[in-house]
Amino acid sequence: MTRAEGVALALSLLADDDIVVAADGAIAREAYRAHDRARTFYMLGSMGQVASIALGLAMTRRERIVALDGDGNLLMGLGGLALVGGLKPPNLYHLVFDNGCYATTGGQPALSQQVDLAAAAAGAGYPWARRCSSAGGAREGMKAWLSASGPAFLDLAVETADPAPAPRIPMTPEQMAERVRDALGRT
Amino acid sequence: MNGSQRLDSLRAAGVEFVSGVPCSYLKRFFAGCGELPPSLFLPAVREDHAVAACAGAWLGGKRSLAAMQNSGLGYCLEVLTSLHLMYGMPLPMIVSDRGDPKDYEEHRILGQRTRQLLDLFEIPWLEARPGMVSEEARWLVDTSERERRPAVLLVGKEADV
Repeated sequence: MTRAEGVALALSLLADDDIVVAADGAIAREAYRAHDRARTFYMLGSMGQVASIALGLAMTRRERIVALDGDGNLLMGLGGLALVGGLKPPNLYHLVFDNGCYATTGGQPALSQQVDLAAAAAGAGYPWARRCSSAGGAREGMKAWLSASGPAFLDLAVETADPAPAPRIPMTPEQMAERVRDALGRT
Repeated sequence: MNGSQRLDSLRAAGVEFVSGVPCSYLKRFFAGCGELPPSLFLPAVREDHAVAACAGAWLGGKRSLAAMQNSGLGYCLEVLTSLHLMYGMPLPMIVSDRGDPKDYEEHRILGQRTRQLLDLFEIPWLEARPGMVSEEARWLVDTSERERRPAVLLVGKEADV
């Protein structure tokens, strides 16, 4: 399974009112291409902050917050894993598309090939943390993840190959933020 | 310690969510934060995570504030530039004003350049003064909301009220 297929599968399993934080780089662009929705926040930069942005949302909203993260992205901001595991927001669902490399910058190897991210999440305090390495079992793995008590963490192994790169998202950053704010209702 | 007058003023000015990393110059402020309901205060592990969580809370509809030592501005720079400044997100910030020549060595290099750093990224700032807590709270919240960007109140040791 490619990362883009995994992103599309995850989005197809979500409820309409779920709020998504899509990691900067390829994951946000693939999420936009697969299923653009007003309740998805597309990150363009601030690598390493997917879990922290999702945590701020989880503490202020009742809906389920779904963080679509990357392995290199998560490794850059492991403190965010500690925050979620330590504070245990029950409505936060964290999914890592783990291709073992920095695909957006040319496929340089990432330390996720050596570091067990699900074990790190469990150690940080996520009550449910698994790795799903079978390409054929991605759908079942995601369903188990979404039906677990939160915060729940799934490290999904995906192929390194990136056969059809997604184009940039045709919205300004201001439009991206305003659209999410409007969809969630301003206070 | 009986709460924080500065935190109370910021709450009165509209702040609904706080995240940050403590500084010894902000003991009273953080003591007040510790008395907030757990859903309103996120004690972060590093300052960049605090400002990112504030961005999430703001997307969720809450006026959010970050508090930290000025050394933490260095950790925050990537997030402030590629999240708040780029997406047009308001962020009131309480930042301690460390680094005068009598302060410890580890605070001097960044501390003595805090104002230049903020100016370089066109982040409005104000120095806290005695007896101006309510006015400063309103300035901080109003400026960041009006300009849709971070704004900083620099708080010296004596201004931690």
